[in-house]
Amino acid sequence: MTNKDSFTEYHPIINFMFFIGAIVCGMFYIHPYFVGVSVFCAAAYLITVRGTKAFSILAGMCGVFIVISIINPIFNTNGEHVLCQLFGRPYTLEALLYGMTLAGMMVSILLWFVSYQTVMTSDKFLYLFGGLSPAFSLVLTMILRLVPNYQKKIMQISEIRKSIGKSAGDGTLRQKTEHGITVLSVTTTWALEGGIVMADSMQSRGYGCGKRSRFSIYRMGNGDKLLLILMTLLLTITLVCGAKGMASITFAPTIQMHGSTMVRIGGLIVYMLFLMLPTMINIKENVTWHILRSKI
Amino acid sequence: MSEKSIDNTKKKNSVRKCIVWMLILILVPATLIVSWKYGNRRYYLTSVLVIVYSILAFVISFESRKPQAREIVTIAVMSALSVAARAAFAMVPFFKPSTAIIMITGIAMGPEAGFLTGAACALVSNFLFGQGPWTPWQMFAYGIAGVIMGALAKTGVVSEKKKLLTSVIGFVCVMLIVGPILDTCSLFTMSTEISKVSVTGIYMAGIPVNAVHSAATFLTLLLFCRPLAEKLERIKIKYGMMDGEQ
Repeated sequence: MTNKDSFTEYHPIINFMFFIGAIVCGMFYIHPYFVGVSVFCAAAYLITVRGTKAFSILAGMCGVFIVISIINPIFNTNGEHVLCQLFGRPYTLEALLYGMTLAGMMVSILLWFVSYQTVMTSDKFLYLFGGLSPAFSLVLTMILRLVPNYQKKIMQISEIRKSIGKSAGDGTLRQKTEHGITVLSVTTTWALEGGIVMADSMQSRGYGCGKRSRFSIYRMGNGDKLLLILMTLLLTITLVCGAKGMASITFAPTIQMHGSTMVRIGGLIVYMLFLMLPTMINIKENVTWHILRSKI
Repeated sequence: MSEKSIDNTKKKNSVRKCIVWMLILILVPATLIVSWKYGNRRYYLTSVLVIVYSILAFVISFESRKPQAREIVTIAVMSALSVAARAAFAMVPFFKPSTAIIMITGIAMGPEAGFLTGAACALVSNFLFGQGPWTPWQMFAYGIAGVIMGALAKTGVVSEKKKLLTSVIGFVCVMLIVGPILDTCSLFTMSTEISKVSVTGIYMAGIPVNAVHSAATFLTLLLFCRPLAEKLERIKIKYGMMDGEQ
């Protein structure tokens, strides 16, 4: 099955709002059910975005989860049910569960960030925040363009220096470092001179005269508006639910939840709907694509 | 520009700067109080808010000064170099020259340019290698490295001529300030409870990493500070840069 991320094609505001919502809720909602939902949705979305590559990331996250869950009770000895004594300190059930929840939170946030990386590309980020600070976003745009340029130049200089036996890989560690510095030094001279040419060219084409305009290829279509409204609605309900304490829990000395179960389940469903939006969009688009293709 | 108008814009800039920093001085304690009282002491979120304010302060004062093309380009070039520099040391394990390059930019071009170079370097390298909860912290930590060296250079403590002293100060700065700031980020994101045990645990675990980082900074500063500062100086003279500003 081809993995095409359709959520990416929505307006950057929608992408950004979704990730901010998911990550902030992920940081605040400490109730294990909410954490579990967040981990599940983050993993599901990652699979639709990255395909089979997602599984190695998920395996790594399992490791993170286990390590953090086991380590927490060593630092934190709160809780009534003592499982065993470790290094002369009690290892409690509550602390273990608390550790698992926190590990889940961490894993879900990291997973959301992995998807964020593929969806919120630098151009979208600059589109959203470029208006706030034109000069700084110009700096960022330039850096993004210059970094590959410089890396290529560094490689070229190293290749040339290799022919006189002075590449970054020759000699002892000390010599390698010195060779690296020389390469860097050469690149710097070249880069600074190039920068001056660039600045002069900007100046003569009228940089700084008048307000900066921006180019963007994004436009808000009807589908975007619909999704934005739906997302705002779901997020608001989730936030209200969180503010009422539905997503909180006390672990020490014993595990206690507050509020009614029915409301909690309702909030949980809304939260899940919100987090599943991009996954559902991707699945729907994939299914449509397959149906259309099978007709041909 | 006549001398008077330069004077005038300078005055305006310093007034703007004052306003921005005053706002920060009000916002930071306000955030701390609100989070302490109502926010259940959310360490990560509170600290990130404080960090974002300080980054914004620098960005706003940069923006309001209407930077010239050459200044923008120089900051972009130095940040891009510090991101790309790792490629020159592909064969030297754990060698990260970026902090040193940011520090040298701070020394040569002042604390503000140092901060912006550091923050931009961290943000862009995270675009390339993966954003995460650590992004604002890294922006802040690397920015601070540029600010400290820039401020010290302004008072004349460090300069490209005092190679050894500058390198030692760079080493100390990474070991005691930049490294611990990054460790605090992992403390707030990873650690489950802020207790004596977890705090010492995280900072102790950070020591070897910070030591390697500081050593790389020390070496780069020692070997590279003078040539790079001379290059920047040469560019300034060759193209008559930066004389009308600041």
